[in-house]
Amino acid sequence: MAMTIECSYYLEPVDTTDLPRRFLDALAAVLSHSNYAMVLDTACRVSTRCGRCATSCPVYETGGEDRDIPCQRSELLLKIYRRYFTPFGNLAARFGPSFELDEAYINTMAEDFYRCTACRRCTLDCPMGIDHGLITHVARWALSEVGIIPKALRVATREQLDGETRNTSAIPKAALLDTCEFLEEDCADEVGIKIEFPIDKRDTEYVFFPAVSDYLLEPDTLIGNAAVMSATGGSWTIGTSAYDGINYGLFYSDRMLDRIVSMEADEVRRLGAKKILIGECGHASRSAKFFVRTFCGADDAPEVVNFMEYTHRAWKEGRLELRPNVITERTTYHDPCNIARSGWIIDQPREILRHICTDFVEMTPNGRDNYCCGGGGGSVSIDEIREFRTLVGGAKKAEQIRRTNAELVVAPCANCKKQIAEVLEDHGLDHARVVGLHDLLIKAIVPPKEMLIENGDADTDAASAL
Amino acid sequence: MDTVIEFARGPLFRLSLTVCVLGLGYRIAVIVAQIVAAWHRAGDRRLPLAAVASATASWLVPIRLWRSRPFYSSASVLFHLAVIVVPFFLAGHLALLAWLLPGWWPILPQQVADAITVVSMVALVVLLVGRFSSASSRFLTRSSDVAVLVVLLGLLLFGWWAANPAMSPFAGRTMLMIHIMLGNLVLVMIPTTKIAHCALMPFARLVFQLGWHFPAATGQHVAQALNKEGEPV
Repeated sequence: MAMTIECSYYLEPVDTTDLPRRFLDALAAVLSHSNYAMVLDTACRVSTRCGRCATSCPVYETGGEDRDIPCQRSELLLKIYRRYFTPFGNLAARFGPSFELDEAYINTMAEDFYRCTACRRCTLDCPMGIDHGLITHVARWALSEVGIIPKALRVATREQLDGETRNTSAIPKAALLDTCEFLEEDCADEVGIKIEFPIDKRDTEYVFFPAVSDYLLEPDTLIGNAAVMSATGGSWTIGTSAYDGINYGLFYSDRMLDRIVSMEADEVRRLGAKKILIGECGHASRSAKFFVRTFCGADDAPEVVNFMEYTHRAWKEGRLELRPNVITERTTYHDPCNIARSGWIIDQPREILRHICTDFVEMTPNGRDNYCCGGGGGSVSIDEIREFRTLVGGAKKAEQIRRTNAELVVAPCANCKKQIAEVLEDHGLDHARVVGLHDLLIKAIVPPKEMLIENGDADTDAASAL
Repeated sequence: MDTVIEFARGPLFRLSLTVCVLGLGYRIAVIVAQIVAAWHRAGDRRLPLAAVASATASWLVPIRLWRSRPFYSSASVLFHLAVIVVPFFLAGHLALLAWLLPGWWPILPQQVADAITVVSMVALVVLLVGRFSSASSRFLTRSSDVAVLVVLLGLLLFGWWAANPAMSPFAGRTMLMIHIMLGNLVLVMIPTTKIAHCALMPFARLVFQLGWHFPAATGQHVAQALNKEGEPV
């Protein structure tokens, strides 16, 4: 009898006809056309099941449920691999009772692989270096090919790839243009400096891809981005054919990941630009930085730069002047996993924050060792699991923030911002609020004369009013 | 008894050693071939080799281990050191490999070997207890994980009794025979069980890093294989 998939997140209707066979076909296709068979094979052979990964997983540390031990979660897929994709597994099944994949097992995978935030902290603590985040990634792709994808991720990706607006927040081009114009006017009125969001400008150095939700939720971050560009004379533009850096493909399907980064590269080429500039967003940065080269021509692919890298370099090279000690509230910094776990962006924002803040404090642990905010792996977009996200996945982060006693939590990532705001709310940390790095920079930038509004009543100090 | 011992440390040992060496050689050959093939398929072939090498090397001196469960971790490190030192530097073992090793090969004094053996047995007991004292480890532990530890503990214990017959409950020759048989069993287990990590660990981090370096057409090929080309999201 056909069953329905029951999990804690919403799904679009899933065809459960012959589901185990279809899942195995999907996994076979994935393994045949990727390097993942090598990954699963190695994980099977080197795993000692020592349990060390359990000591570093924020979900398991808080929730204490056995199914959240990274090694155990990976075992869900490794068991299938050993049984159906190795000669020994096939042979053993012929001569005796063996594990058989069924709907209930797939249901378990559907739930458990989406309890992982894919933060990959456990990889650092595995003596064998087993990347449980990668195994989760493989499992989610295979699940997605039989239709098991959180509805929130699927609907957003559908709009981005097949919809009219071509972005995950369904912001039409006209609304984008209006928003940019509004932000320019707002900055002029409130801060007294002139910023510009260039639209469809050709032959620039950068095409800008923020998390598109920033246009709705994080105007201060965008104003800070534009202010840095204006102050440094940056050559950039926003393309109207693709303006969303969000890439949920990273969380559930390499097919989608490929299509989305290809959209970004195509937009850069359409506009005759050179580089992709990603806004304050961890997963958008990682998916572009590490997969544009993979899918868009390796050495011919456009270079990818995160906005914090751009700002830090401009400041270090003297092209951007920042006033010291303008932020007087106690400030801490949250490392988004997707840019910190690999060691890519850790020191750059800290150098800036130590310069502009009078009271900068670190969370412990931080950098590569940071704790996930609890909303990683796409889970932040799944509103129906908020309680799990904030009270279980986000508990470690809440405790870290509580210990700093910070008023400002700088989280340079659209997903982390949303999640941490909810974590603060659900843990009663009312004294703290989340901001982006560039939200603070607008107060610190010393604007060149040409940025000042002539005859305006605002001066550079007015920036602090924002 | 002596005939059995001679057989066990003669032809049977050579057979077990052959299985071990060929088995590990095969495992290494397979993983190297997989790595080379994956690298050729990757759309982006730039690999952070220095970072991978550094992370791998850092686990050879696993300071990071002490951050959590320090007692269990210390036992693990001591045990691993002992199982590397004793088999390769104990006089009795070296006699079996005299045809293979150069004349200058250092020999461990018996008293030192005994001390290391005792330390490693204690470490193994700690590992066994640790597997059951932590909720997460207890949940993860399979019967094969316990079996490996028990076999290794037996190997060490009977070896120590054989070397110290005065402390042995049975005749030293019996202890020696059991020790040699267990040694042969462990040699066969090395390439066929999770103990293979002793040879594969240096490659593992590179494998997982390379796993993120996808073939450029992976999505298209999977879509073709599943007849999903052009299918809406």
